[in-house]
Amino acid sequence: MKLEIKNLSFSFGDARVLNCISLGIEEGEFVGLMGPNGSGKTTLLRCLTRYLPSEARTILVDMKPIHTMSDKEIAKTFAVVPQTSATDFPFTAYDIVMMGRLPHMGSRLAGESKKDEAVVRWAFDRTGCSHLKGRRFSELSGGERQRVIIARALAQQPKVLLLDEPTVYLDISGQFEMMDLIRRLNTEDGLTIVAVLHDINMAARYSDRVVLLNGGRLEAFDHPDEVFTTNTIRAVYGVDVAVRKDPLTHDVFVMPRSPIVLATKRGRRIHVLCGGGSGGPIMRALVDSGHSVSVGVLNVLDSDYESATDLRVPIIAEVPFAQISDDMHAENLRCIDETPIVVVTPFPVGPGNFKNLEAAMYALKAGKRVYILTGSGESSIDFVGGKANAYLCDLADAGAVKIRNLDDMMQLIAHEETANR
Amino acid sequence: MRETGADKNASESQSDRSRSSESAHALYLVGLVALLAAVSFVSILTGTLGPIGPGEPEKISLGEAIETLIGDGDGTGFAATVIWEIRVPRIVLAGLIGASLACAGTAMQAVFRNPMADPFIIGVSSGAAVGAATAGVIGLTAVVGAFTAPLFAFFSALLTVLVVYQMGTIRGRVYVETLLLSGVAVAAFLGALVSFLIYFAGNDYHELIPWLLGTLSSADWNDAVIISVPILIGVLVIFLYGRDLNALLLGEETAHNLGANPESVKKLMLGVAALMTAGAVAFAGIIGFIGLIVPHMMRLVFGADHRMLIPTSTLFGASFLIGADSLARTVIPGEELPVGIITALCGGPFFLYLLRKSRTGGGPQ
Repeated sequence: MKLEIKNLSFSFGDARVLNCISLGIEEGEFVGLMGPNGSGKTTLLRCLTRYLPSEARTILVDMKPIHTMSDKEIAKTFAVVPQTSATDFPFTAYDIVMMGRLPHMGSRLAGESKKDEAVVRWAFDRTGCSHLKGRRFSELSGGERQRVIIARALAQQPKVLLLDEPTVYLDISGQFEMMDLIRRLNTEDGLTIVAVLHDINMAARYSDRVVLLNGGRLEAFDHPDEVFTTNTIRAVYGVDVAVRKDPLTHDVFVMPRSPIVLATKRGRRIHVLCGGGSGGPIMRALVDSGHSVSVGVLNVLDSDYESATDLRVPIIAEVPFAQISDDMHAENLRCIDETPIVVVTPFPVGPGNFKNLEAAMYALKAGKRVYILTGSGESSIDFVGGKANAYLCDLADAGAVKIRNLDDMMQLIAHEETANR
Repeated sequence: MRETGADKNASESQSDRSRSSESAHALYLVGLVALLAAVSFVSILTGTLGPIGPGEPEKISLGEAIETLIGDGDGTGFAATVIWEIRVPRIVLAGLIGASLACAGTAMQAVFRNPMADPFIIGVSSGAAVGAATAGVIGLTAVVGAFTAPLFAFFSALLTVLVVYQMGTIRGRVYVETLLLSGVAVAAFLGALVSFLIYFAGNDYHELIPWLLGTLSSADWNDAVIISVPILIGVLVIFLYGRDLNALLLGEETAHNLGANPESVKKLMLGVAALMTAGAVAFAGIIGFIGLIVPHMMRLVFGADHRMLIPTSTLFGASFLIGADSLARTVIPGEELPVGIITALCGGPFFLYLLRKSRTGGGPQ
């Protein structure tokens, strides 16, 4: 089975919804259909099933144009799972799934054959919902309904399963169960899948290839890690994301970045000494309040390094897992020279980054304001046999201000600003 | 597919279950046929002339009636005339009309995916009423003969349906929501027109009132034979499309995706139902409630599958109207009530009872 779309365009009146889409989907592929709202995803699915009319020879299944196929042939090629299904009428789940046999039934007078019953039973087994057979469809939960609808789609014995946001009304566990079920149907039963998905991470995780539509045009059709780049996502969705790789699967995943806040007049220059994930919330809070923040010295790959990248905070960075070099330490001190305020977070202190504490002492001696956030418990996690805690006490004696929590610190900084004016 | 022993057992019991439910369905249908026969039999015996009825003394004895029915009599006596020329054609007509209204109502509820739809929803009743009232007002009945009013009613009903259908159709596509609202609006407009005509008809309007409420009092064999053709064909066609109607209930896009062609199914069902109900209305006036509540009752009992719903609704609709008409003939001695009053009086409360009872079991929402 090969599905080809050639120069497909579609308009509702004057509004062009699809514009010259061309792509080919191979048998057994799992294709994620992505794009912002109104980009034409559902319209594309409806053209495939001929629910909406497309021009002749624009859609071909195994070289056969769909407009030459009968309604029943179409229903034996494509089965559709919509976002939600509801009915006011008292059908049982068994009734609903048996309706999937409609395209296979010949005479209007004949009842269901043994084969129809067997296929329906298989469809219930395959979707793991045999226990729902006798239940009223209207009484099932969202997830159960969606399984029954997938069973109905399987009962059609289609070549391609088209899904329109199958997980949109499910909770998070339901979403993964649903996607795993669809992937099993793809890998074990060889069904070709075309699924409209909203969640980029879900699409990246499950799709072989991704179709990205934007305003009715085909923006990209490729492997997820080729499609989901910061630039493409900004161009299509207009949001800023960081693209990462899942450490376990190496699937790409994206996360939205904070909107960029430019330093305002009331903002101060603040340098943060942190590491090991202790600095993320502090940098975030400072950036959000309009301060212009710098940070040092961090090892590349430290989670604070990634947070700082996302926040667009300038970083004085050391290579991964290395001790802070003299060069970087000097760079750090130069940065402190330019800032009136230095914040020390409760970061884990080891021999590699002890220089960051020394930098705080340098700041105090240079007459800067130094805040030491102590966090809830220990002032820092000391991996140098008490030297770090002793050094922190020295810092306090030298005039550093110890503060328990972030909010207090933010208030102090705000207060100091107004006092300065 | 790997089949373990447990799977086999499960699948066997499953097919046993579906086989047993099939035989249960057959049993229900036989039961409904038996009910129809019983109701018809009792109805034949019922009337002001007896043997069952308020008339005193009874002019026809039970023995005489049964003898006439079984066929030992010569067929020319008083009892034979009453039974074969008056009661039986009326019962046949009542059965046909009850069947057609219930069957068309079932189809309409499926096409509109709305349990509140009835066979009159696309303007049949109001159109027919205008036709009949016009015929009455201009006094054509006397000129052309007894069939004028039914013909007027029939064609004005179909004309109205065509107008409503055009309102609900945009570029060849039937939009059921628009169709429904157009039907309501046209019915309201024509209702006013009927009231206007009645107002000017003066004393003649008395003749129109029973027809507006639905009555079988003018029934004869001619009526029954003429109307049986469209009704029996209509019931058969609707029954053959049971599976498509099931799919249509899930929405038009789903029906399309299952290989049913919703546009042609909708158009065929609307056309067939309109012909059936226009025929029924032409001969018996506007008998309300049957087309709404009989499909409901059957759905509450048998579920939503149209291959069961259509035959059961048809059979029960026939029994229901025959029973109601027997009551209409006899409940007030010397007076005949329009049967529409009985169907509404009996059907309304019974329907409410079923609805309340089924709420816990999850009836139509």
